[in-house]
Amino acid sequence: MNKKENGQIRNKILIVDDSEINRSLLSDMLSGEYEILEAENGMEASAILQSHEHEISVMLLDIVMPVMDGFETLVAMNKNGWIKSIPVIMISAETVPAYVDRAYDLGVQDYISRPFDERTVRRRVINTIMLFAKQKELSHMVADQMMEKENGNQLMIEILSNIVEFRNGESGLHVLHIRTLTELFLKALLEKTDKYDISRKDIPLICNASALHDIGKIVIPEEVLNKPGRFTDEEFAIMRTHSMEGARLLEDIPMRKNEPLIQLGYQICRWHHERYDGKGYPDGLKGEEIPIVAQVVALADVYDALTSKRVYKDAYSHEKAVEMILNGECGIFNPILMECLKDISDTLEKELSVLSQGSSQTEILGTVEMMMEKGELEVSERTLRLLEHERTKYQFYAELSHEIQFEYTAMPEMLILSEWGARYLDMPETVLNPREEAFGQKVFDGSDFEELLRLLVNTTPEKPVVEKKYLLNINGHERWSRVIARSMWDDGETPEYMGAIGKIVDIHDNMEKMTNLERMAAHDSLTGLLNHKAAKEKISDILNQDEQQKYILLLFDLDKFKQANDQYGHLFGDEVLKYVAETIKKSTRASDIAARMGGDEFLLFMPYKEQAEPLVKRIFDLLCGQYKEFRVSVSMGIACAEECGGDYSVLFHMADEAMYEAKRSGRGRYCFYKAEMADTGGEAR
Amino acid sequence: MTVKECYDAMGADYEDVFARLRKDERIQKFLLKVMNDKSYDLLCSSLESGDMAEAFRAAHTLKGVCQNLSLTPLYKSAAVLSDRLKEQTEYGSDIEPMLDRVREDYERTISCIRELDGQ
Repeated sequence: MNKKENGQIRNKILIVDDSEINRSLLSDMLSGEYEILEAENGMEASAILQSHEHEISVMLLDIVMPVMDGFETLVAMNKNGWIKSIPVIMISAETVPAYVDRAYDLGVQDYISRPFDERTVRRRVINTIMLFAKQKELSHMVADQMMEKENGNQLMIEILSNIVEFRNGESGLHVLHIRTLTELFLKALLEKTDKYDISRKDIPLICNASALHDIGKIVIPEEVLNKPGRFTDEEFAIMRTHSMEGARLLEDIPMRKNEPLIQLGYQICRWHHERYDGKGYPDGLKGEEIPIVAQVVALADVYDALTSKRVYKDAYSHEKAVEMILNGECGIFNPILMECLKDISDTLEKELSVLSQGSSQTEILGTVEMMMEKGELEVSERTLRLLEHERTKYQFYAELSHEIQFEYTAMPEMLILSEWGARYLDMPETVLNPREEAFGQKVFDGSDFEELLRLLVNTTPEKPVVEKKYLLNINGHERWSRVIARSMWDDGETPEYMGAIGKIVDIHDNMEKMTNLERMAAHDSLTGLLNHKAAKEKISDILNQDEQQKYILLLFDLDKFKQANDQYGHLFGDEVLKYVAETIKKSTRASDIAARMGGDEFLLFMPYKEQAEPLVKRIFDLLCGQYKEFRVSVSMGIACAEECGGDYSVLFHMADEAMYEAKRSGRGRYCFYKAEMADTGGEAR
Repeated sequence: MTVKECYDAMGADYEDVFARLRKDERIQKFLLKVMNDKSYDLLCSSLESGDMAEAFRAAHTLKGVCQNLSLTPLYKSAAVLSDRLKEQTEYGSDIEPMLDRVREDYERTISCIRELDGQ
């Protein structure tokens, strides 16, 4: 069929057999008229099906194969729905009934037994393709007719209900509202309970029937129907007959009693004014005696009546209407329906306005969806063209974005990379068993890839997105990358995890820039030591975490440094500072914290064992020395962290006091903080 | 040597293969491929290493290839071994004579094909 529409396209045949000779034998017999794709086993076949499902006209499948055999392949085809679009011909020497039966059960169309005979092979392939095409064409025709009929039905019902509405002086919106409300309440009800004998696929029909609820009003005299103000008892009695009259109208339609639409319409017409406590009319039914469809329409009717303007009343707000219904001001309803009303109350008003506008379209779409589910509607040629268009678009953008985009399928496990991504990683576009392959072992660290897959499986259809940074190995280079992926689920009643789509973005340069900036922000540019702010943060962290607090803080400045500057120039001054910084770096360990506070003031923070003094003395002695013409001497104050109560500013203050004490005592010395310094310190400055 | 003579020398069924494949060139082309087919080697090595599942698949493939090309003697001996490996997955002394038979047929078949190729 492709041929007719598009001269150059040949039907594609996928041959799956582990023996190269067998594949090429078949290929030789068929290649004149068909384009041949080959796969060595079910895994490879699945990969081809994943990306070329709609291009393949028929598949020839061997049974005994390594990795993934013919039956396993069929199972995967069923699971992924491929079996619906691709006819499979089994090739095997096995004619054991058990084999043959199982193959047919799994959806195989035909059987070719070895040894291959050219004529048989060609004939079977042609027959299968033609049969399948015919079947598709027929199902399209049936689907079209069904659509037409369905639309006609719905239109007739809408016309009929509109006549009633018109006579009633209403806009016709009431019918649309009832349909929509009925739909919303039914969906909410099905979420809550399965105790009623209705399912999602019944909803469109019930909605159609709901439109008929007031047809009985056709027999009510106009002056009663449209009377402004209150009814007399007599008038009310007349009005009340409309429910029974409506039911009778439907009942009297000849030969149609068993139509589900008529039966539902009857229930709805007759009982949509019954109430759960038995105080409704016409029959005074109670509780679950009232059919659930009538209960639902009754609620819809009341809600819409309250929120609409009528000849005898103004419109109430949504909130007021819900409140009145819940308070029982319009009669008593099924408690479970009251729960439903509460559940959807927040969104009801908005959905009502949106859905009522597009109600016909949504329902047609619903019908189409239902038919698709039942397999009544196959993918049309037009859909395929659209799909192709989308694919071109997607490929183009993927190419431009310079991101590795991927599709991951959980069963059989495989990964499909975007063209650009595959080139970039120097890998084939299809990676089977990605966990075992370079993708899951080398590009990702093995455990990282496992983690990513685990995160994806553990998502839900409501929250499907996973985002995480990984250090990847791209062609031998370590690159920080961000993986953003979204899990994919099938649309069954309980959604099943199918796999994921996602992309990998290289963020290495950005990360590096950030780390660099962070480093620069934390360090003093002249000496390469930390600056005060960074040192303060690090020390505070340690003070907060370490219970022992066996640390000392050393604070010192260079004696007569100003002279060095004045005498030999600022460049020389900088050299002295660098020399001191180098000395500090040499005499401390990586775990110690050393910082330049600014000017000629430095800070050291380090742990000590039993005695702090020997450590201090060693550092002090190292610092005092000669740099060129300048004699380096320091005044140093020391405070122990044990006394600061974990507070950095207290500790700093103590060391500062001690340093001034050292200065006051004649410089060129170190001095430990003592409690009595606290009072005098401030004055000494 | 013609294709038919080659089949006669192998003790294989030329009429049958010609009826199905319908061209001598095609038959010859695929016969030559048999020389490069790995299933016989795989069969021997899997039996040696005790990988019985792989051995079954290899015997099965060899059988299928021979069947398609009507290499009747090798097809028959490969089928016997393939059936045995399918029914029982343990190694047994009964396998040896079967494998000997396959080896004998395989060598004869291959040497005939080489001769055909030699021209």
